[in-house]
Amino acid sequence: MGTARTALRADGLYMNVKFVEVRGLAATVIAPQVVQALQVLTILCGAPLVSGIIAHMEGRLQGRRGPRILQPYYDLIKLFRKENLVTEESSWVFLAGPVIAFGCYLIVPLLIPVLTTFGLPLGYMGDILGGGFILALAGFAVALAGTESGAPYAQLGASRAMTFGALIEPTILFVVFTVALITSTDLPYALAATVRSSASEIVRPGHVLAALAFFLVVLVDTGRIPVETHSGTLEFGMIDEGRTLEHSGPALALLKWGSAMKQLILYTILINVFVAPWGLAASGDVGAVLLAILALLGKAVVVGLVFALIDNSFSKLRLFKITEFIAAAFLLAGLGVLVFFAGGG
Amino acid sequence: MTGTPSTYAGVADVVAVLVLLTEFAMLRAPLLRSQVRLYAFQSFVVTVLAIVVAATHHIPELYALAAFSLALKVILVPGLVLRLLRDADTDLAGSSTLGVASMILIAIAVSAFGFFTVGSLQVHSNALPTSALAIAAAVVLVAFVLIILRSDVVSQAIGFFSLENGVSVASLVVASGLPLVVDVAFLFDLLVAVVVFGVIMRVHHGRGKTLSTEELDRLRG
Repeated sequence: MGTARTALRADGLYMNVKFVEVRGLAATVIAPQVVQALQVLTILCGAPLVSGIIAHMEGRLQGRRGPRILQPYYDLIKLFRKENLVTEESSWVFLAGPVIAFGCYLIVPLLIPVLTTFGLPLGYMGDILGGGFILALAGFAVALAGTESGAPYAQLGASRAMTFGALIEPTILFVVFTVALITSTDLPYALAATVRSSASEIVRPGHVLAALAFFLVVLVDTGRIPVETHSGTLEFGMIDEGRTLEHSGPALALLKWGSAMKQLILYTILINVFVAPWGLAASGDVGAVLLAILALLGKAVVVGLVFALIDNSFSKLRLFKITEFIAAAFLLAGLGVLVFFAGGG
Repeated sequence: MTGTPSTYAGVADVVAVLVLLTEFAMLRAPLLRSQVRLYAFQSFVVTVLAIVVAATHHIPELYALAAFSLALKVILVPGLVLRLLRDADTDLAGSSTLGVASMILIAIAVSAFGFFTVGSLQVHSNALPTSALAIAAAVVLVAFVLIILRSDVVSQAIGFFSLENGVSVASLVVASGLPLVVDVAFLFDLLVAVVVFGVIMRVHHGRGKTLSTEELDRLRG
């Protein structure tokens, strides 16, 4: 079986060999299509929960009681009941933006290993770059909607988000290059399988550097502290938050839900591709899939706590110092590629 | 492409990468004090590398070397420089010629040059992680960048000291069995450099009331 495994890995498509382990009589297997739908549902329904737990723990860390864990759900329900207010100047783009972004965030979980170690039917529809493009499209739609509002702060936020998004792009590309060099593919499943395969894969510098760089990318993209204060109302420091200032009602609900989903998607990529791809379901077994859902949410909360700790221990960088932060992320990703070329990094 | 390196090689490479990253951190550190602390940290990492090599290759002399470098480079030298700094009473490094982001980009390009040159040398050894050698070369080159681009005596001294750290990494991974005497000679070389740079810092600060080297190109009658 060992040879079969390596042969499959060399192909880049790491399919699990012991696909269904018949355990007694009742090994109920879920169809891959259903598992795939469950991936989207996990992200969709779990994202506000993860955000809620992080916000709660953050409050605790700051000596406050913190909001209720389920607060994001209540917020969403409240916002969905309200009406959409649209300024006279804005066109349909203002309302279409949040919907497009939300749709994008629903597509990405199809492409990444959320619950399973094996590729699902639509999982090979796009590689890491494809997922990145869809996330970028979502960001673009939100920025466009923000610009369309005609309000100065929303436009400021949109412009800044696009600027810093463009600056962080080379880092993302180099992380993808490192992944591609290590696995000879650019499929997230392949890297996760490589990381699981042995301890030496975890400590190889190329992987460590890429994982660190991606960690910083997540920090920038989720708008956490060295880059942006995510909770607060000071418009001058806003980047991502600023874009949504003019939206209200269901559109705002979609934006908030979308940003929670984006956060969980990025955490999922960080966890299940780079840092800790354990606890995923190796087969379509009901128990394994349920366990994978719980494991994912648990790991996401742990990662979220790390981010909350960073949030509480550092101060926000001045806007013009953010380029330095991004240069540091690029340094890590660039070194990852270089070390690899220097000899088996 | 080469296959996956062994776990030892991976750990050694990661430690070497850490040394390189500290070098980059020194490049951006605005406070002179934090630069000295970074140097202490870097020396500590090199010490850890010495211990890793000693443990995996069963070379007991390296433990002695690790102890030496811990005492000298982690405690004594940074302590001395910090003390000199306290006397000089300056916190911030003078403005460097370039912005931080562009300095980092230049340093990345320079270290890429180092990586590819060492890579093209085709040095292979069974004991040692090849990429660690390339990283050591990159550390030396980035130390040069630090010395060239930062215009204050402390940064230049720290750049010189950390250059020695890069050389240590190279000697540890290339010739881990290098006689202890040679390694210790390196360390004493460093001590001489510390004395020289200490004198420079003192004299320069005493004359110019500053640690910046930008004043040095003016002729005085």
